[in-house]
Amino acid sequence: MSTTQALPGSFRDPSGQVFEVENRIFRTVTDYATSDFDFVRSTGLLQKLTLTGLVLPFETVDQDILGPIGKNASYVLESPKLPFVSFPYEWPFSALKAAALLHLEIHTTALEHGVTLSDASAYNVQFYGVRPIFIDHLSFRRYQPGEFWTGHRQFCEQFLNPLLLRAFLGVPHNPWYRGSQEGIGSEDLCRLLKWRHFFNSKVLSQVLLQSYFQRSARKNVVKLNKEHLAESHLPLPSFQKLLKNLHKWISGLKPLDGDKTVWQDYADFHNYSSEETEIKKQFILDFVRANRPKLLWDLGCNTGTWGAEALRNGAEYVVGFDSDQGALEKTFSRALDKKLLLQPLLMDAANPSPNQGWMGRERASLEARAPANAVLALALVHHLVIGRNIPFFQVLDWILDLAPTGIIEFVPKSDSNAQVLLHLREDIFPDYTEECFLSHLAQRVEIIKTQVIPSSRRILVWYARP
Amino acid sequence: MGQIPKILVFLSIILGLESPQEAHAYLDPGSGSMILQLLLGGIAGVSVVLKLYWQQFIGIFRSPKSGASDSPSSDDTPSRN
Repeated sequence: MSTTQALPGSFRDPSGQVFEVENRIFRTVTDYATSDFDFVRSTGLLQKLTLTGLVLPFETVDQDILGPIGKNASYVLESPKLPFVSFPYEWPFSALKAAALLHLEIHTTALEHGVTLSDASAYNVQFYGVRPIFIDHLSFRRYQPGEFWTGHRQFCEQFLNPLLLRAFLGVPHNPWYRGSQEGIGSEDLCRLLKWRHFFNSKVLSQVLLQSYFQRSARKNVVKLNKEHLAESHLPLPSFQKLLKNLHKWISGLKPLDGDKTVWQDYADFHNYSSEETEIKKQFILDFVRANRPKLLWDLGCNTGTWGAEALRNGAEYVVGFDSDQGALEKTFSRALDKKLLLQPLLMDAANPSPNQGWMGRERASLEARAPANAVLALALVHHLVIGRNIPFFQVLDWILDLAPTGIIEFVPKSDSNAQVLLHLREDIFPDYTEECFLSHLAQRVEIIKTQVIPSSRRILVWYARP
Repeated sequence: MGQIPKILVFLSIILGLESPQEAHAYLDPGSGSMILQLLLGGIAGVSVVLKLYWQQFIGIFRSPKSGASDSPSSDDTPSRN
């Protein structure tokens, strides 16, 4: 137990850290946070929020489970482990929006109980399928009448501004967010918005005015100090109205580029006949029924068709990765409508999320969050090899390392979709052949079953690592 | 959000165009949000903001020449290089 170390993402908080021991998740509550935590629990707020599913459930457990670390803490809490941890730069627009609304709803309820939130980090929200869930029990603290919303700036940067970037300018938040880690600053967003956007009074106050005040403070044009803040206060009704207005505004935000994107119609236009689709479906369902994976990664999930089928046939939880925003939005809607444990995330397989943040350890890479129990890589490999020039065997090895079992689909060069990738370029892929595909897999894994799709000569391989 | 006096908003825009452009190494992460919330907090908060920005505000109406003549200490202040 002496080797117990806090998870890298939780080091900033003096209130407590998160630990994973033998696949169980624990959180310490330090002396610093004890008084607030006791108060918050006495209000019944956490019980209410956990019962309604807005906050991750927890229970206090024997402190010895964390050894000396547990003994030094006031409490040790245990929470259920979520199937998959994701980050806001991987969330599609609808997920970030749902997380923002969750944060505002929780804060509104908290204020009714005399409690406030000490921060507004988007990293305090995780997903169970497409349902956002607040995970940081130590963000709650006693509300002091008249106090300001200390997390307001962070809320704007981590939730509001990234949503506005897409809603007003049609630019997805993900690459920027992944680079900055802390969201999008109001001053940066302000520089990009057009004059017409400032006729919107909410943009005017929450973005332009805040940005102006921030800039003037940064440049020492004004100096705000504690005496200024002591002279004034934010009355509770104003605080609540601010939260309510933000909730109403964000509820109505939609991506400006809500038109069709590259992949969201793919499922309707791909080059399978219905019979071939049936062959593919049977193969995939046999695989899922045989393995019943607790966590299935669907690489290149498109609109979530196969993920949904897998869930209906024995998979417990599916994470669908795709690089297309429109396809992810469709997957999100599908999961929401049909109440599926299907979590759509933005991921370019040629550039998956890296280890990053403080010391390169704060936010784990996709690979560091492996293994899944099973993986689907359907019609993915040719995009990486022919479309992105990644060596064929490297692509195969990368997929094989993500899970102990899975299905990989090989799309031959003669396939009409592969031809789209090839027709304007030189064929520099001599080893991209059926023979090389099968022989490389045979060297590394056990091939359980193979299926050739008759007309297109596509090959599906169900494999298991030895 | 709708509570902020519009005149103050537009004054801010005008003043914003006049602010200097140099960068500072010591970033203040929260003042912008706090000043905005002062405005949302009612009369007391608005008066604090007016106080904070008063010099900037009257600077608009003061010509550089009259500004110099209004400053009797300018000759008395030792220069610091």
